[in-house]
Amino acid sequence: MRDDPTVVALVARAAASDQDAWDEIVDRYAPLVWSICTGFRLTNHDIEDVAQNVWLLLVGQLGTLREPAALPGWLATTTRRECLRVVTASRKSERLGTELDEAAQFVADTVVDEEILVAERNAALRAAFAELPPRCQQLLSMLLRDPPCSYGTISATLDIPIGSIGPQRARCLERMRKSSALLGLIEVGVNFPGGDPSA
Amino acid sequence: MRDGWDDEQLLGALREAMRAREAVPSWFVEMGKNAYAWHNIDAELAQLTYDSQADTELAFVRSEAASIRALTFTSAHLSIELEVGKDSLLGQVIPPQAGTLETYTKAGQTTSLVDESGYFAVEPIPPNPFRLRFRTSDGADVVTGWITL
Repeated sequence: MRDDPTVVALVARAAASDQDAWDEIVDRYAPLVWSICTGFRLTNHDIEDVAQNVWLLLVGQLGTLREPAALPGWLATTTRRECLRVVTASRKSERLGTELDEAAQFVADTVVDEEILVAERNAALRAAFAELPPRCQQLLSMLLRDPPCSYGTISATLDIPIGSIGPQRARCLERMRKSSALLGLIEVGVNFPGGDPSA
Repeated sequence: MRDGWDDEQLLGALREAMRAREAVPSWFVEMGKNAYAWHNIDAELAQLTYDSQADTELAFVRSEAASIRALTFTSAHLSIELEVGKDSLLGQVIPPQAGTLETYTKAGQTTSLVDESGYFAVEPIPPNPFRLRFRTSDGADVVTGWITL
């Protein structure tokens, strides 16, 4: 994952004043920054404070990031540090005990590495999905709904026979599996959520 | 993972990825995108080096006297001292020098004058979060991080 060419290219383009590349970086990794902030149980007010500083620091360091491919790690570390700063400030002003400190440290130590892997996997999955033809995106979106759309609804909405939904679903997923975004991920061997896929 | 994901696993993973994205409010993403406006701005960053509210030693005094909140931002060459008043921000640039003080908020930007003694006032108090940027005719250019009062 450290060699993800997409991230390296995005950072290089953003450093060269390409707003679209910057927007894509934010789209890819906003969920990572967000989930770390919510993991610290910050208020929206504090989350805004943290995120403003994280993105601002990144903007300032685009040209000098030592390892652009490690951007997700950099973002996670920087977000964690900013969250701790906010937590520490509120602890001081509210004179809370040390439990919060310990809780924050626990979150900081254990969650972040897992968080980075999940964020990279999710970003790759969303990128692979975005590369699919519109028809596949429509079909998979309907299947992903909670609860999923019935085959009857899908058949009526997308105007395809019920009998071909299964095969089309399989073709779309196969296409996704072969996309460049996902291929790198699968080769590197990032675990899928919930355990061993061969089990 | 060499075998890849089967259809159910892939669909499950995709569902999780989409949910993670949907959980993020749009204001949060917009804020990140807007930060790019600061790309290629060559101002020196002034870091928050003092905040009376974060100072536990003063907490007792403050509650007794309801003293004014004071903040200091320091860069390599100068510092900006701020006092949060009832309706305005009062401040001074140290060492004292004249220039302009720009206040940036999400809504836009306003400019105040800094006099020869380094004093300035920003009125009304800008909405959170905001940044202050001090510039002089001889090329000093210092900007604070985002400030949330």
